[in-house]
Amino acid sequence: MSDHPVTLGRFDAEEARLAGLKPADLLSLGLAAALILLPLLVGGSWIFALGVCFANSIGVLAVSVLVRYGGEVSIGHSFFAAVGAYSVAVLDTRFGLSLLASLPLALALGVVSGVAFAWPSRKLSGIYLAVSTMALALAVPELINNADGLTGGYEGLYVSQPVIPGIAMSLQRYYAALIVLVAVVYGLARLRHSRQGLQLLLAKAHPAAADAFGTRRVWARVAVMGISGGIAALCGAMLGFAGSTVSPSGFTLWSSIFLLVGSVVSFYGLSLPRALVGGAFLTLVPQFLSASGAWIPVLYGLALLGMILLGHYLPRLRAMIADRKGGV
Amino acid sequence: MDVVTNALKGEGIALSFGGIEVLKGLDVEFRAGEITGLIGPNGAGKTSLFNCLTGAYAPQKGTITYAGQSLDGLPPAARASRGIVRSFQHVALSPDLTVLENVMIGVARNHHAGWQHVFLPTRRGREEMARMRADAEQALAELGLAGAADKLPAELPPGMLRLVEIARAIVGRPQVLLLDEPAAGLNNAETRDLMRSLKSLCSPDLVMVVVEHDMDLVMSICDRIYVLNFGAFVACGTPQQVRQDEDVVRIYLGSDDD
Repeated sequence: MSDHPVTLGRFDAEEARLAGLKPADLLSLGLAAALILLPLLVGGSWIFALGVCFANSIGVLAVSVLVRYGGEVSIGHSFFAAVGAYSVAVLDTRFGLSLLASLPLALALGVVSGVAFAWPSRKLSGIYLAVSTMALALAVPELINNADGLTGGYEGLYVSQPVIPGIAMSLQRYYAALIVLVAVVYGLARLRHSRQGLQLLLAKAHPAAADAFGTRRVWARVAVMGISGGIAALCGAMLGFAGSTVSPSGFTLWSSIFLLVGSVVSFYGLSLPRALVGGAFLTLVPQFLSASGAWIPVLYGLALLGMILLGHYLPRLRAMIADRKGGV
Repeated sequence: MDVVTNALKGEGIALSFGGIEVLKGLDVEFRAGEITGLIGPNGAGKTSLFNCLTGAYAPQKGTITYAGQSLDGLPPAARASRGIVRSFQHVALSPDLTVLENVMIGVARNHHAGWQHVFLPTRRGREEMARMRADAEQALAELGLAGAADKLPAELPPGMLRLVEIARAIVGRPQVLLLDEPAAGLNNAETRDLMRSLKSLCSPDLVMVVVEHDMDLVMSICDRIYVLNFGAFVACGTPQQVRQDEDVVRIYLGSDDD
């Protein structure tokens, strides 16, 4: 890293290192700039779909951070997403509060939910933890339906409060989701270069070594789950805002599984391009396949397989190309 | 007799697994300002004793104190915060982190900036990481590893990884340094460098204990040596005394009856 110093205005070297600015990150910045300008070129349903794609990308990051920093897999993140989504929807419909007020609450409740789940399950790992997260996902729709006085039950809630009055809601839904996605990616880049990030990564690889250097493995588990739960809640909040409606059908076990699928096809990447690949797989690929009728599941499966094989063989292809270039 | 204040002491340490006695009521004193060797055949209980001292294992009997204060019941992380650190017999570095970052973890226990400094670009967060990085770079330089700072562990040979472990252990200026086979995997030149480094680390406040099979290293750098066999001490003394001890010679060389 230090071999490639980056000078960006008033950023000093330490700031650049903390921000994790490398060529790949500059690519992310370029991509973010392109996405900021995209509504000038496309409109209508594309803007709506991309807003939902950004929200799903946040959910993909929530699962990926659990894998990357905790070494664990979740199939229950729709629970935390639902916490965020209903924080936004309930404050919107019942109290007339916009995303500016409800988003911090969603984040806080997501973190608290993650910690509350992590503490009793702190001794579980691997398949046992994954199955226990599934219990969360299975419980969500019933919990929402039983609290229909607050949540609207099956019919759900409509999110309509603008963040900035006077600006078209379609643009607000798009840009709000994009801003939160970029903010999460930035936060995770900072985590990677922080003391806590280093400690979490050691705790994942060698819990005994982490213990021996002052990092309690229970702290590591609870911290990772809190971060992941908070990000998943942001995903839910933005799904509610960008998608305009919140209902139990959006937070089922299948939703959790698709978040995991998105994380896998993004190869647990925590950068903006990787997150967008995962989010697109949840949002845009089904849209592209929507005219295929009964073939949709088959084609989706093939696309999934293709992505995994591509990711598996891409490093080898790159190495082969590099070797040939070197040989020439 | 000298009054030893900063000593790591164990009294009557007994540990067993499933009825097998691994440590048999050991009395031990590791003094500050000395390098103490802990030797013995494989399975003698050396690493188990380390695990008891660092809190990874809870002995069924006995007490452990450091500087007169009991460590009994304290988890490993709490002992680490008191400056009791160790290296591992099998290299335990994070493969996701660079060498420099792995070493920075060794000093993490001395820093306490909260989560807001992780996610927000604050001065305190920047300064904390800068100090950790400077300390880690210094520790790597002391062990001749400055050139490997930005490499991943997978890119280094086993001998260098062992040195990175030691750098991680010493970077936080520990009070007690327990090194489990630090020379394993090192070539002769690297071992000589390690011996020089360990000697230079020695200070009046530091308790240093070395578990090692390399007898040249142990005899060269240690002030005192404990010899462990089947969970019990068979000898304790200066390198000269241990070298001449009949039991030690028998354990290491075998007797005519064996």
